[in-house]
Amino acid sequence: MEELYKLISDDIATAISSRLSTEKLSEIRIRNRLPVRVCYDGAYYFLGAGGISKNSATAFIAGEREAESVVLRACERSLYTVSENIKSGYVSVRGGIRIGVCGSGVFDRDKLTAVKDFTAVNIRLPHEIKGCASGVLAKIEIGGRVENTLVISPPAAGKTTVIRDLTRLISDRGYNVLLCDERYEIASVRAGVPTLDVGACTDVISGQDKRYAFRAGIAYMRPDVIVTDELFDRDMESVDSAVHCGTAVISTVHAKNLVDFYEKPEYAALVGRKIFSRFVVLDGAPNWGVSVFDETARRIA
Amino acid sequence: MTQKILIIVICVAVGTTSGYMVMKTFKRNLGYLTDLCALLDELKRNISYRSDGAAEILGRFAANAGSVQLKKNIAEYVDYASSKSGTLSVSRGFLSKDVYTSVNEFFASLGEADRRGQLDALGAFSQAFEKYRERAAERSNKYGTLSVKLGFLFGLGAGVLFL
Repeated sequence: MEELYKLISDDIATAISSRLSTEKLSEIRIRNRLPVRVCYDGAYYFLGAGGISKNSATAFIAGEREAESVVLRACERSLYTVSENIKSGYVSVRGGIRIGVCGSGVFDRDKLTAVKDFTAVNIRLPHEIKGCASGVLAKIEIGGRVENTLVISPPAAGKTTVIRDLTRLISDRGYNVLLCDERYEIASVRAGVPTLDVGACTDVISGQDKRYAFRAGIAYMRPDVIVTDELFDRDMESVDSAVHCGTAVISTVHAKNLVDFYEKPEYAALVGRKIFSRFVVLDGAPNWGVSVFDETARRIA
Repeated sequence: MTQKILIIVICVAVGTTSGYMVMKTFKRNLGYLTDLCALLDELKRNISYRSDGAAEILGRFAANAGSVQLKKNIAEYVDYASSKSGTLSVSRGFLSKDVYTSVNEFFASLGEADRRGQLDALGAFSQAFEKYRERAAERSNKYGTLSVKLGFLFGLGAGVLFL
């Protein structure tokens, strides 16, 4: 949590360290000149000196440029290290913390060149729950090989936590795993070393586009399994080529459930090519749960 | 007689030491600017390829820098970068007013732009500090040893006059 406390003002840090259990804290939302909110144990509350409350009257009010302060602290006052990420809407911090950033876009014709005047940040804390994916592993590893698996869940339901643990478990079973950690949130590599446990046989490519990471990874690292976060239709070619090379792919998508995934137009290509044979659906708060489906959408766990 | 010789020796020693101190000031200034130009080169190199944070690059550079004043300025910047307050205070030390103004602007500009903007800014600072460095080298060569000689002669003259 030291990394978190470096990002936020001292009064907020004191309230969190003295009043809350960081295990249950998943988000801190800071909006300029507005009450500070947290997601605690799956529900949203305002945060004040006395702890969490549903009442905003006692909450901390963020400073006029608090969002910018958080971003500057996150990059240790070196905006050039994160300016490309900020254009994609986020900043990654040591320890797997990811900060969603809102601000005003600066355009040169149609191209976004910068984001300025940050208005709000959402600090999302990673959770490392070892063993949380062991039930899933039992359903996706069949006959000494790992099935192509898609983890489906709404935002903040634990996709990254599950996929990180799955990576660790598969890796520790001896498979060569290539982890394409585009946003540094699965392994959170710093100075060449993963700061979160992703297993003993995992090679990590961080901060790189999936197309490049898949191509270079398959060519030179010879992985048995490729794990990556948040797949879109544009990534299908990379996934296709990996599967045709005999490499299993495990990834995630944003959807409420399997039906929602099948119906979303942005995933039409993913659905159409029938690459994935296992679907792991995560239910968010308040009904946390994990279900596993096979390629015929039959529930198997 | 011994007393007179002693007075002359003391005057010469004081004069020479003063001249030497003036020479040291020239060299210190030159050393600061030489190290600063090397720091700018290192920043440009690193940001072009590795893109490490400014405080990290500066911290590594300071370990091998010769200028005590630059080390102090780097430490002040690193403190600022890791603190939650928003004020940067860089000490002036022996720096002239125009060099100090540029140094302040340089440290304040670090990390305030995207990669391209940062490299452009560093390029501009590099040119400005290189000019300061050339001027400082010229002054150091021209007046450095001269000030020691003048100090010696001034001390000798003062001793003779005193007698």
